Amino acid sequence: MAPVLREEDEKNENIPKLLCQMDNHLACVNCVRWSNNGLYLASGGDDKLVMVWKRAAFIGPSTMFGSSSKLANVEQWRCVMILRNHTGDVMDVAWSPHDVWLASCSVDNTIVIWNARKFPEIVMTLKGHTGLVKGLTWDPVGKYIASQADDHSLKVWRTMDWQMETNITKPFSECGGTTHVLRLSWSPDGQYLVSAHAMNNSGPTAQIIERDGWKTNMDFVGHRKAVTVVKFNPKIFKKKQKNGSTPKPSCPYCCCAVGSKDRSLSVWLTSLKRPLVVIHDLFDKSIMDITWTLNGLGLLVCSMDGTVAFLDFSQDELGDPLNEEEKNAIHQNIYGKSLAITMESHLSSTIIENPEMLKYQQERQGNQNPNGAQGSSHENQTAKLTNVLNGESLEDIRKNLLKKQVETRTADGRRRITPLCIAQLDTGDFSPALFNSVPILPGSSTSTQLTPQISSDSSTANSLGLRPSHDPTTTSPNKTAEENKDSGPAAVNSIGMKSNLLLTSASKIEPMKALDSRFTERSKATPGVTSVPLTIGITPLDRVKDSSSVKEPKGKDETSSDSEDKGMVKSLSMAKRKGEMEGAEVVEKRKKGRPRKDAKMMMPISQPFPQTPVSAEKEPSRLTTPVAVLKLPTPSIQKSFSTQVSTDAITYLEVENEVSVVSGARLSQLKWSREGREWDMLLTSRIIIATGSSDVVAVACEDRTLSVFTTCGRRLIPSIILSAPMSALHCSGHFVMALMASATLSVWDVQKQTALVKNESLNPILSGTDATVSQSFLTQQGVPVVSLSNGKTYCFNSSLETWNLIADKQDSLVQCADFRNCLTSQDALGSMGPLALTQSRNLSAGRLASRFSSTPHHLQQGMTLAFLENQLSSALILLSASEYRHWLLIYARFLVNEGYEQRLRELCQDLLGPVHKSSSSSWEPTVLGLRKRDLLTEVMPVIGQNLRFQRLFTEYQDQLELLRLK
Amino acid sequence: MAKVQVLNVAVLDNPSPFRNPFQFEITFECMEDLPEDLEWKIIYVGSAESEEYDQVLDSVLVGPVPAGRHMFVFQADAPNTGLIPESDAVGVTVVLITCTYRGQEFIRIGYYVNNEYTDPELRENPPVKPDYTQLQRNILASNPRVTRFHINWEATMEKMEDSENVDPAPNAMLPPTSMPGKAPPLGLMPDNSMDCL
Repeated sequence: MAPVLREEDEKNENIPKLLCQMDNHLACVNCVRWSNNGLYLASGGDDKLVMVWKRAAFIGPSTMFGSSSKLANVEQWRCVMILRNHTGDVMDVAWSPHDVWLASCSVDNTIVIWNARKFPEIVMTLKGHTGLVKGLTWDPVGKYIASQADDHSLKVWRTMDWQMETNITKPFSECGGTTHVLRLSWSPDGQYLVSAHAMNNSGPTAQIIERDGWKTNMDFVGHRKAVTVVKFNPKIFKKKQKNGSTPKPSCPYCCCAVGSKDRSLSVWLTSLKRPLVVIHDLFDKSIMDITWTLNGLGLLVCSMDGTVAFLDFSQDELGDPLNEEEKNAIHQNIYGKSLAITMESHLSSTIIENPEMLKYQQERQGNQNPNGAQGSSHENQTAKLTNVLNGESLEDIRKNLLKKQVETRTADGRRRITPLCIAQLDTGDFSPALFNSVPILPGSSTSTQLTPQISSDSSTANSLGLRPSHDPTTTSPNKTAEENKDSGPAAVNSIGMKSNLLLTSASKIEPMKALDSRFTERSKATPGVTSVPLTIGITPLDRVKDSSSVKEPKGKDETSSDSEDKGMVKSLSMAKRKGEMEGAEVVEKRKKGRPRKDAKMMMPISQPFPQTPVSAEKEPSRLTTPVAVLKLPTPSIQKSFSTQVSTDAITYLEVENEVSVVSGARLSQLKWSREGREWDMLLTSRIIIATGSSDVVAVACEDRTLSVFTTCGRRLIPSIILSAPMSALHCSGHFVMALMASATLSVWDVQKQTALVKNESLNPILSGTDATVSQSFLTQQGVPVVSLSNGKTYCFNSSLETWNLIADKQDSLVQCADFRNCLTSQDALGSMGPLALTQSRNLSAGRLASRFSSTPHHLQQGMTLAFLENQLSSALILLSASEYRHWLLIYARFLVNEGYEQRLRELCQDLLGPVHKSSSSSWEPTVLGLRKRDLLTEVMPVIGQNLRFQRLFTEYQDQLELLRLK
Repeated sequence: MAKVQVLNVAVLDNPSPFRNPFQFEITFECMEDLPEDLEWKIIYVGSAESEEYDQVLDSVLVGPVPAGRHMFVFQADAPNTGLIPESDAVGVTVVLITCTYRGQEFIRIGYYVNNEYTDPELRENPPVKPDYTQLQRNILASNPRVTRFHINWEATMEKMEDSENVDPAPNAMLPPTSMPGKAPPLGLMPDNSMDCL
């Protein structure tokens, strides 16, 4: 910039003016933009290409071959990537905050989002514009990207799911004619978006769009022709303090430059009603692009006429620019998360006090790009190679090249020369490693001034950008760490983003499928039964409740077979859910027979049954296997059904009712088979439900008895007489859960032969609602879980003897919690366990709900916090260790990201426990079988990611170390 | 964008007697490994009047070309004097270096060549029949004219549509077709017209 700013520098021939000339584009270049880190330059042109350039650090100044010698390229910029996808001229390109993505828009009406860490990967193509897309701008917070097109619309897209957030057309409806570009801009505080060419009362304006509700109440008026470019100053300003006057707190404001087709430029401060300055007839032709210098005081404007203007402002005119810290504070106020770890530039002065911390920071970096170190060392090697090859200098090589070069003859007698490779490409492959690696600072001898790349050529002058300067300080270990950090969190972000995309889609699809198959099953099994989808999955118990009297289901026999079927299907869906949990498919059949008063010991003894064959015939016992998760042989034997139980080994339970008729008696047979082993058992009463786990088999019979067998077929306990007919029966491990038609629940541990839950009534959760039980299951740890049709899920805690709410579909916390940033790729796979099972649908809803952008950030933060804490306690009460760990890590990450130091400290303290043993301490060293200190060890790296917590990190790291040594 | 960028061409053995072979040291850079060889040609323009007198002095295959920076020396014999119109032997003409990939020319580098007698006497009174032994060839190495063409570097891609062979540098000195034939006198070339951009 020096030759632009100072005349004597301009005249000094020793100061290079044109630094590099790149001629790789095949047609007019429409836009050039520096990446935020200043290492890359992206250009887009009429050749439909986007090119990404990187400074080749090890090549000295050289001329562009073929260009006249005076214009030597002082800096070497090499095209490292060509992005091909657009089918029309590329009109604008934009780097996202932290250079995670690069967006390009084109006259092909699309916007392409490129993964800037993995070029040329395309993240998404945004389609929706019906006209040439001529401008792009990223929300400085990174939540949105906005585009403006010739179709008289401005669209804002979410970066979370790349869907359209809003479509603004009103201010543009009057727009006639076209401008070459429509470069819109987002204010640095993120609150306002200012469009190019809009119309108000048939006058050209730049429309101001408020982030809050996308209101369009204000505009910049005054230009006589269409506005082509709007560009916000990257700085936020506050009023200049006058000497002597008492400092008054004033509202920070932004500064915006507006360029128009009328060849004039206006500069506005958002604190003033009138423009700060208007320059008429600055150029001979329309303004094409505007950029501000990083310090916010310089303005470069280029025009279609092939010239570039530089405007210099003073702080008296614009105000005092806020420093990065203050700017961050504003972001933090408005959006909270602002970039606590995502933007760490403000931490650049922070010294890493702890070698462990440094290690974590470096490890993190190392993990993200394992090739990083190699990459840079490789670069260094190539550097040497450029000058010295096999100990020979380039000059030596050149002298002998003709003699030394290998020349052969091809089969057809032609000469073939093998060229001598003098250097590998230092940026040949555009690996993320290289992208993220510590930048080789552009010649430390050049000043810290900005180095503008302005080409006077009209074909390239359509657009210009400014490269952020780099401090050419020596690369101290400290510095390295900072650089690492700089690239690190952004990568984390992108991973988080991606994984979360994965997650949403997965969780979106799964329930749908399940629902679908449930629908089809239902329509197959019960044609003609019309019931609202919501009531699918109600167990027969509900119907008992519906009729508001817990009476003998005797009358059920008389209901149509339709309703029987319905019942079956309902239990089916239930079984299916269970199947999902256990990864196996469960087919159940239940029958409602006339309850038997004479409950006999169910022994395979021939005994006449008082049962009438008529009632038996009434009961359809055919069942088709639902086709879903697993394919099963369809048991189509009359009056029989089969069930697959247990996850580890494929185990089938087959039930055949009324098999043998010995002297008029009917017996029911239960067959069990696993991998070739099998046994069978005869029961006197017809079997309603049979279920099993890897340890036990439980069978509920028509005569209100419950029998439990081992997996070898040995009867564990004599028949249990139930107080009411069985509604649902589940086994898990050596736990058996019985949900009776009388809305009571029992859970037994058949191994220890104890009752965990004794005839507990469901009244507390059912009363007062007209909800019904839609699902029930038993976790591996023997915790009974009951889901209701109103979306609430409860579990019964036997130690507290209470029902606990663990999931609620309508919970607004779930809807609004936004912790996607805290998910890692492993987390994205989701936690498997009872909690996830009950919440699977809710969670996807929650993720989508975070679109409600209008939610103030601090509120959302609070909701997320509450939600995560709910999850944690739910996992705890469900005794689901893996889920507890899963949510604990997310919770810790959230606390770290959002800077909740107090809670983080409390969490660490609880996990660490007292360092010195004392008898009075009630601290439990384990939680759900997980050692708390192991958990803390897992949490430490998470804390280590945020330098702000380095004291905390050090404190607990030391204590952990101390404990380890003990 | 072209996968191969010519970084430099050094003219060796220049100036030299007319019958000496041409020597060009070519440095080029390749963005990615090329599955096929590059074909380089040196074309001597015998007469500015007609392409008829163009001589391909030599063509050479260069390969294999992995990604990276490479250099080689392209040597080709002096033109066959018999094919040069006598009237054009002395004076300014052009030598061209072209490179093709998969049969498509993507770069053409032109040098002005001045052939003159070193002997002041001969210079004053040139013989009717050129005396090639006395002629000195001086290649204006400082002033190459580079024309680049957009070609299809991929084997699979369809033929480039409109952009094929569009001269990317509008103010490059000559359109490729007219270049061999109509080399203007050396002195008329302004210095700065060399820019490729």
